[in-house]
Amino acid sequence: MVSPEMQKLAQERAARMQAAIELKEPDRVPFTGLGGDIVAAYAGITAYEFEFDFEKNRQAAIKWLKDFPADSPVGGIGGLDNLAMSVAFVDFPDLANQFFMVNGPMNDVLNMKFARFPGRQLDEYSSRQFIGGKNMEPEEYDELIADPVKFSYEKILPRIAGNLADLGSPTSLATMARLGMVKAQQAAEMRKTGAALAELGYPTGGGSTFAFAPLDYIGDHLRDLPNLVLDIRRYPDKVKAAAEAILEVLVKWTLQGKAAGAVQAGFPLHLNEYLSPKLYREFYWPTLKEYILRLREEGMRSRLFCEGWHDAHLDTFLELPAGWGIAAFEKTDVRKAKKVLAGHTCISGGIDVGVVISGTPAEIDEYIKRLLGDMMPGGGFILGPNVGNLPRNTPIENVAAVYEAVEKYGKY
Amino acid sequence: MREELLKSFVDMDEQEAVRIARELVESDGGAVAVLETCKEAMEEVGRLFEAGEYFLSELIAAGDMFNQIMEFTLPKLQGDEVASIGTMVLGTVQGDVHNIGKDIFKVMAEASGINVIDIGIDVPHEKFVEAIKEHKPELVGMCCLITLGVDSMKRTIEVIKEAGLRDDIKIIIGGGRVSQAVMEHVGADAWADDAARGVRLSKELLGKE
Amino acid sequence: MAVDAKQLAAERAARLKAAVELKEPDRVPFTGIGGDVIAAYAGITSYEFNFDYEKQCQAIIKYVKDFPSDQPVIGMTGLGNHVASMAFSDYPDLYPIISRVDGPTNDILGVDYCRFPGRELDENSSPQFIGREYMSAEEYDELIADPVKFCFEKILPRIVRAFRDMKAPEAHAAMARLALEKAKAGAAMRDMFRQLQELGYAPGGLSVFFAPLDFIGDQLRDIPNLIKDLRRYPDKVKAATEAVLEPLLKVSVNAKGPGVETAMIPLHLNEYLSPALYNEFYWPTLKEGILRLAELGMKSQVFFEGRHDAHLETILELPAGWGTAYFEKTDVRKAKKLLQGHTCIMGGIDVGMVISSTPAKLDEYIKEILGEMMPGGGFILAPNIGNLPRETPIENIRAVYEAVEKYGKY
Repeated sequence: MVSPEMQKLAQERAARMQAAIELKEPDRVPFTGLGGDIVAAYAGITAYEFEFDFEKNRQAAIKWLKDFPADSPVGGIGGLDNLAMSVAFVDFPDLANQFFMVNGPMNDVLNMKFARFPGRQLDEYSSRQFIGGKNMEPEEYDELIADPVKFSYEKILPRIAGNLADLGSPTSLATMARLGMVKAQQAAEMRKTGAALAELGYPTGGGSTFAFAPLDYIGDHLRDLPNLVLDIRRYPDKVKAAAEAILEVLVKWTLQGKAAGAVQAGFPLHLNEYLSPKLYREFYWPTLKEYILRLREEGMRSRLFCEGWHDAHLDTFLELPAGWGIAAFEKTDVRKAKKVLAGHTCISGGIDVGVVISGTPAEIDEYIKRLLGDMMPGGGFILGPNVGNLPRNTPIENVAAVYEAVEKYGKY
Repeated sequence: MREELLKSFVDMDEQEAVRIARELVESDGGAVAVLETCKEAMEEVGRLFEAGEYFLSELIAAGDMFNQIMEFTLPKLQGDEVASIGTMVLGTVQGDVHNIGKDIFKVMAEASGINVIDIGIDVPHEKFVEAIKEHKPELVGMCCLITLGVDSMKRTIEVIKEAGLRDDIKIIIGGGRVSQAVMEHVGADAWADDAARGVRLSKELLGKE
Repeated sequence: MAVDAKQLAAERAARLKAAVELKEPDRVPFTGIGGDVIAAYAGITSYEFNFDYEKQCQAIIKYVKDFPSDQPVIGMTGLGNHVASMAFSDYPDLYPIISRVDGPTNDILGVDYCRFPGRELDENSSPQFIGREYMSAEEYDELIADPVKFCFEKILPRIVRAFRDMKAPEAHAAMARLALEKAKAGAAMRDMFRQLQELGYAPGGLSVFFAPLDFIGDQLRDIPNLIKDLRRYPDKVKAATEAVLEPLLKVSVNAKGPGVETAMIPLHLNEYLSPALYNEFYWPTLKEGILRLAELGMKSQVFFEGRHDAHLETILELPAGWGTAYFEKTDVRKAKKLLQGHTCIMGGIDVGMVISSTPAKLDEYIKEILGEMMPGGGFILAPNIGNLPRETPIENIRAVYEAVEKYGKY
């Protein structure tokens, strides 16, 4: 049973986030916390243990969160995006979302071509990595457009999942059963982790599900990014038609997450920084915008993680209704974003992970002070790292300096 | 025709650029003209990128055109017509298995006349040392996409120092997560988080600009 | 497990083991009697017993608490999915999820031969196996060439609706759902086994094996067809029994959990066959199977369905102490005359008596059986078939247990 104090803490944290999303000033600046590979290192375990052993992962996350509490938790077994499999099984709403994040034990079963895990394909101290790959030929666009689900199931899945290479074989069916076994074990573990987090005063429920810009599905899972940017010039109509066909499927999938209780959809954008404003507006943004609006109609807010430089596309957000959601930035200066988006879009990010890795505590204190001084006024800001992963060797005194500075300068 | 090739290349008109290049390469001295024009075009694309007019998709498209054209142009050139301005050993550091950034940079660096020795992804520290000993480059390029690469670059540079090779080379680091702070932290000579800047700085380090 | 529960479990296990080893234990080992009556005793429908894991486990525990015996009485919790077990015999880790079909997993798979209460049947009916012809006579050569491949490619799609098209997403989704569903059941089962341990039952279970001809008769050709095949294609049938023997043994190994030393072999076709046909087609591969199971560290417990009188003597071809012969209609006294000192005999309680008799008559009945069967050891008291119907008078059941208590001491 979670103590009343911790329940209250969870409510305060949730309220803080909610106020920022609603473009208001909370009591303090909401802070998502730092995490990543450093969480395992801090607990003295390898990345392999952190990715494959639920008990060790949970203990590491608890240790980290006790010493470095923030408004949302870090930790848990992470995974790599396996969107093609969710698309392939989108007509099975009890399963599609379960296949989405491939973590270490799931990958042992599936053997995904795009996945590299510590202690398996990588050194046991390495980070898990998604390496992409070309899984579709340009001649196949028509098939993709005609039926993205069928195409993803029949053509893509066998190409990307080593153990589903021969669909209908005993191995492919056994693989699905094994996947079910692993997922069942993990569900039990996740419940334990959820309970542990609740005891540390983190909100449960009202969580987040995933969403993807339709063009990112093509770039990350089907054509590989460099090929897709060439396709945009060579077969523009097909690329556009494909994005539209995929949109319908992805919306359906994200709403399955809503049915399971999610109130927010996280879009990790990828192709955004590769595209000129002209291409972005013509190929990327229309279906992404439509997606965000469709989710909004269903009562969901969106959170867009804008990887890389998003400067050239900032004003497109203004086409969305005010209060639509959160824009999180990596390299785009949050101050610059604020000038464009204040009062319209909640901004998230701000802490350059490079500074945390290589600065000194004094420099970091000064850095956070300036950042908060610029970003807090007017509200609508969630403080977080610009990318989610602090490497293992990040000096702990630097991490502590960030949290202390947030404590010092984060009050409204 | 050189003008037309340059224009269509820089304007990303792939079919036209390849068509003109195919025609030009058959004429007397045409191969050298194609090579020079394409290098010039790549340089211009890089400039447009750094000016914020072009984006990564244009760099990728330009690289692809360059490779397509070189495939039928290089066989027609004599060895001394493909002069290099210097040699670079290039690899994604240990622990990181991404190649997209490295590959975009590589074709642009080659287009600028740098002889690039690509030693791959997830390259162990010692392999950098061996490659430096073998190829005696003026430059070493280290890439990483993920933040883990920062530690790895630092260690790689330490190992190069221990082997007594650090003073013979200049080191440029590149990738999505590097910055001035990271460069100082790992002890490199230059940093770039995009390919165009990377090529420009590499040429500077070679004393060519 | 508490010390006394542990001790109790050890005593019970020793009792059963002594009988199998043809010795006299401290008391006659008694398997207990149960079945559909377990659900009725707990006041739940058979539908609930078959579809609600928690209610099922609670009902079993209640019954076992009130009617303790040397083995926990679990009742009928599903039907075997033997074709699937064979089709996936090269994937031992899948055995626990594909080998049995219970109510919820049948909802996922849609198994042609399964009938469940509250679905195809009345909510208080027992789960039933209604086989039919799944393989044509022309397919014997394919079966013989590669039984595992044949079962996977040809039979499974015919038996399991979700596998009609093995390449389809439906089939793949069904496998994942099956595993997820079995995990839900597993959580309830683990809890039940923990409670059973507290009640003095050792963890364990039985492996399983089938007479190769039964596999062909029940799962592939259907018995009436197989009987005709014996005359029309005798060589093919014989070759097929030889071909399925190895994969059936593989399944037995897959089914053998840690600490399991017994393989259950339920016979079916035995009573249909004359001694000549039995000896030519049925017995050779069954015997070979029993001998091979012994090599694999398992004693067999053969359930001789119906009347086995005509084939009793074949049992003597097995080495003494080979295992247990469990009889349905064959009189255990008659069997004892022939098999004493060679084979442990199991059975003896006519379920019909328990259903229709009175406590006083049952007391007398059990007294008589035990009086004749206990001397010399090598006897396990059990109902002649595993299923007591829902309407069985509880006082009759109690009378059986009390009589065993009264007359079962050596």
